[in-house]
Amino acid sequence: MMVPIRCFTCGKLIGDKWEEFAKRVKNGEQPGKVLDDIGITRYCCRRMILSNVEVIDELLKYYELEEKK
Amino acid sequence: MEIKILKQDDLHIRFLISGIEIPVANALRRIMIAEVPSMIIDDVIILENSSPMKDEILSHRLGLLPLKTDLDSYVLREDCACNSELGCSKCSVTLTLEAEATNTARSVYSREMKSENPDVTPVSDDIPLLKLARGQRIRLEAYAKLGRGIEHAKWQPVSGCAYKYAAAIQIDPKKCTLCKKCVDICTKHLLKMENNKIILTEPLDCRLCEECEEACTVGAIQAKPLKDTFIFDVESNGSLSPERLVLEANKILKEKAEEFITQISELKEGEEE
Ligand SMILES: [Zn+2]
Repeated sequence: MMVPIRCFTCGKLIGDKWEEFAKRVKNGEQPGKVLDDIGITRYCCRRMILSNVEVIDELLKYYELEEKK
Repeated sequence: MEIKILKQDDLHIRFLISGIEIPVANALRRIMIAEVPSMIIDDVIILENSSPMKDEILSHRLGLLPLKTDLDSYVLREDCACNSELGCSKCSVTLTLEAEATNTARSVYSREMKSENPDVTPVSDDIPLLKLARGQRIRLEAYAKLGRGIEHAKWQPVSGCAYKYAAAIQIDPKKCTLCKKCVDICTKHLLKMENNKIILTEPLDCRLCEECEEACTVGAIQAKPLKDTFIFDVESNGSLSPERLVLEANKILKEKAEEFITQISELKEGEEE
């Protein structure tokens, strides 16, 4: 639903790095380079960030629509 | 026993330790993973939650939030005399979160959690906890307690703790034909030829893949681990400083060894009587 706070495998804190990653990738940077840059070195943690989809953003739209009614 | 710190920053420590046996090195590693206490949210009371995130998911997320741990002023729950479910001021810290999205949808971050002890706060201010749509509110109380990784992995203070053997590469100059096969095959490019001699440039980076040994047709090179020297890599998740983690693990190991000796001597006394 949202980016997990810790890596499922090793327990490294990754939650606080997601927003920077998402912003920089959106601005056209290479995902791999950004991950290296923000210090996510192990592949268990890299897949946490790389494969994350913020589904909650989609859910929020429905709540806002409901409120408007 | 000799210890040399190779690299250190606020989350990592890499050190070379020599003169110990494998069981001791492994005991240290396992204690760092499972027995060094850290402070983590264990009970959550949700007073109000109108966000899209369900109470259970939210409390699970809060449980994974690493907190800066003050080991000196708190005791483990099982050692505390209070015996109450939510703990007392000696074994638990209360954190509260109150947030509302007034104008637009927004994220709620770990920095908005208010702790009763300013030394026990989330390790990072920018961890997104949940998101709120316009008009939604969240109000909760969370109780953080000291615990150990052996009980639940959320209390594990390290996110990486491993050791490897230090390498000893021996090259017999009498057998070596200087064919440079080992230089070409080395997976980390650590072997080099200098003054008609093959040398290992960075012995600490060698991972003992033994490719060089296999490639050498005359059997001049031998890649063997040093039996009593280890390179430790410890990565803290921020709850404790890495050097404190290692020291704490040492203390626990020492206590365990002392406990073992007392128990053995008590057994002996029983036999003699
Ligand atoms: Zn990981």
